Amino acid sequence: MTELGNLALAIALLLAVYSIVANIYGARRNAPDFVASARHAIWSMCAMVTIAVVVLWVALLRSDFSLEYVAAYSSTTLPTGYKITALWGGQQGSLLFWTWLLAIFTSIAAFQNRRRNPEIAPYALAVLAGVAIFFLLMLNFVTRPFDLLAVAPAEGSDLNPLLQNYWMAIHPPSLYTGYVSASVPFAFGAAALITGKLDDGWIRSTRRWAIFSWLFLTLGNLFGARWAYEVLGWGGYWAWDPVENAAFMPWLVMTAYLHSVMIQERKDMLKVWNLALIGLTFGLTLFGTFITRSGVISSVHSFTQSGLGPYFLSFLIAVVLAYTALLIFRSGQLRGPAQMESYLSREAAFLFNNLMLVGIAFAVFWGTVFPVLSEAVRGVKITVGPPFFNRVNAPLALGLVLLMGIGPLIAWRRTTAGNLVRSFAAPVAFGVATGIVAAAAGLRQWYVLTAFSLVAFVMGTVLAEFRRGMNARRHMVAERRATALVNLVAKNNRRYGGYVIHVGVIAAFVGIVGSSFFRTEVKKSVHEGDSFTIGSYTLRFLGLAEAENAHLASATARVEVLGPDGREITMMSPAKILFKTQQQPATQVAIRSTPASDLYLVLAGFDDTGQNVTFEVFLTPLVFWLWAGGLLMVLGTVIAMWPNVRERAAIATVLSRSPAGTGELADVGAPGGD
Amino acid sequence: MEIRPRFIIGAGLIILAIGYLIGNAMRTTSEYYLTVNEVAGRQGELGGQAIRVAGRVKPGTVEWEPSTLTLKFEIMPIPDVDAGTATLKPVVATDPVSFRVIAAGEPKPDMFAPGRDVIVEGTLGAGGIITATQVMTSCASKYKPKQSQ
Repeated sequence: MTELGNLALAIALLLAVYSIVANIYGARRNAPDFVASARHAIWSMCAMVTIAVVVLWVALLRSDFSLEYVAAYSSTTLPTGYKITALWGGQQGSLLFWTWLLAIFTSIAAFQNRRRNPEIAPYALAVLAGVAIFFLLMLNFVTRPFDLLAVAPAEGSDLNPLLQNYWMAIHPPSLYTGYVSASVPFAFGAAALITGKLDDGWIRSTRRWAIFSWLFLTLGNLFGARWAYEVLGWGGYWAWDPVENAAFMPWLVMTAYLHSVMIQERKDMLKVWNLALIGLTFGLTLFGTFITRSGVISSVHSFTQSGLGPYFLSFLIAVVLAYTALLIFRSGQLRGPAQMESYLSREAAFLFNNLMLVGIAFAVFWGTVFPVLSEAVRGVKITVGPPFFNRVNAPLALGLVLLMGIGPLIAWRRTTAGNLVRSFAAPVAFGVATGIVAAAAGLRQWYVLTAFSLVAFVMGTVLAEFRRGMNARRHMVAERRATALVNLVAKNNRRYGGYVIHVGVIAAFVGIVGSSFFRTEVKKSVHEGDSFTIGSYTLRFLGLAEAENAHLASATARVEVLGPDGREITMMSPAKILFKTQQQPATQVAIRSTPASDLYLVLAGFDDTGQNVTFEVFLTPLVFWLWAGGLLMVLGTVIAMWPNVRERAAIATVLSRSPAGTGELADVGAPGGD
Repeated sequence: MEIRPRFIIGAGLIILAIGYLIGNAMRTTSEYYLTVNEVAGRQGELGGQAIRVAGRVKPGTVEWEPSTLTLKFEIMPIPDVDAGTATLKPVVATDPVSFRVIAAGEPKPDMFAPGRDVIVEGTLGAGGIITATQVMTSCASKYKPKQSQ
């Protein structure tokens, strides 16, 4: 079996090399046969990597401890579901999984472009195959998933208990999907640079890939945050750890990219900037992998730390140098005639939004690598903790929220004073009123007041946009309200999906502000039957129950939660679990979530009698909205990605006209300029 | 792409503002990140300062009081790792350098155990006692314990 895995990976490497040669030869000599052959090689490569993945999965499911990987990351008592997720629980497996995703996405891109983009697609696929070669080299020669142990142990070391959680089961695949799918737009950008086909064809061809990647980066970050919230037991969800930052930075830059490409599509500006952003996004995905696997920057959770760092760093540097050289080489062709005209224009709002997003990404990068820099320059490691990131990013977040309200409403090119007043009077009034109400309700922190006012302002602009669109429809085609709303969104899904995402971001922002400023904490040692209070809740400890099975032992506290009127609201059961194989305790947090606040209960310790326990309790207002906002962001992204009839028709028209269509298909969801 | 000078001014102002925020935050939030041996070497100048120390929990020194959530232990240097083979050099039985750490008010981290690597955030006080605000465990993904030898 394991020979099959090794063989499949070796063949996959050869196929990847062949596909590059055939693609480039076919494109240069205008020989479609070779391009088709390269395509088939890519699909075969995908099949080979799939075989390798299946082999490893089978070995995990059969607890075949003769494989070093299985012995290191699984055990006979590990539940079946986690045996499957153990594929990405460790170094070699996660790289194999990564390579598999890359092979799948490359295959899909090859299929999508079997007739489209004849000039740039072969080069884009060659770039993707080049990335695949790097990973396949790692898997074949450096960190081999199918290495055998001399003596197979009777039992494996088990999966890290922290990873035995459903959020951890879905967090890495989401993040990897986001990371890896970002290589598709990157490859097309690189191909545009290589071929000199520098119109926005590469952007249009990979628009959905970019949104898809953004969606999964979003999900990956949210799942990771949720995992930290539910599993780590400290009441928070984000600690600005290097590993978290590594996932956050590509998200920020991809967000900037998704906005700035709209300017290129509409105004033919910012070509260099867009190419730079997608290159940066891809570079940051490699950088993230480098950080998590090299141990260069100490992180609290280096789950997959290994000696791969130098390889990733070399590859990263090679990619950055090659891409920068291409950008410089083509810079003469990238200057457009279009000019930005006014500060009071959407272009300007988007430009500043981009600067803010990239600025945040830079600040995060700076804080993440500073220990290494300071050690190199001054010989002593200096580190910055969460306060640094919060202090820098909090004001920038306000700026972004403000722009989120302005950008979608302001006209392209320039806006007149009259237009400004008409568009913004109501939302501004709504924002100011909210600030006044919040202040009257006793809020005093200037940041919170500003944040809530801006949130209300943005909500006002979004509502105004929906109302305006619905009224226009009702006016023109006499639809009922609900029908008008559905048709409005369906016919302009990119634009209104974007608004839904904005509402999601706003909601998440409210959650972050609320949980950062208003969290309260109580630590209490109690005897069986005792009670104590936090906020308006009263908690009574009823007793500790112990249980055991083959895989783990647990101690579960039963806690009765009473509301302000003294009536029981719910029972909560925080627990400590002991994983037997590794003799490793794990905390199981109990959470009662409501839109107003989360009650978060940790069993911090107990004595031998089980009658005296210590609880740590957090009451975190509004954190619910972080997760709700996340859901809205996902919903909005799905709406924005949904196939649009008008767009398909437009693409078909352009394709039938000429292969290098520069026609205006952008009106899909492009804001109706009035 | 052509951007008129006044936009370059606007963009420049934003970049300056971001730079200012970063610089300002650096001044107020940076702290030394040291190994146990480095703390020993600079003990004089570090008194009362916020530091982060990476080290290993010295076996046999851990005391945990669940009712007050007080964790006491000694932190010792992490033995050098032989980079090539990732095998540990033998630990000297009586390691002279270690610091006492007292962390009160936080639950004991799940991954905390004698012999594990930890990062301690806190201040170095008189007598070489580190009053910790936070004890973080770094968790390796791989457990290679108890393999039959």
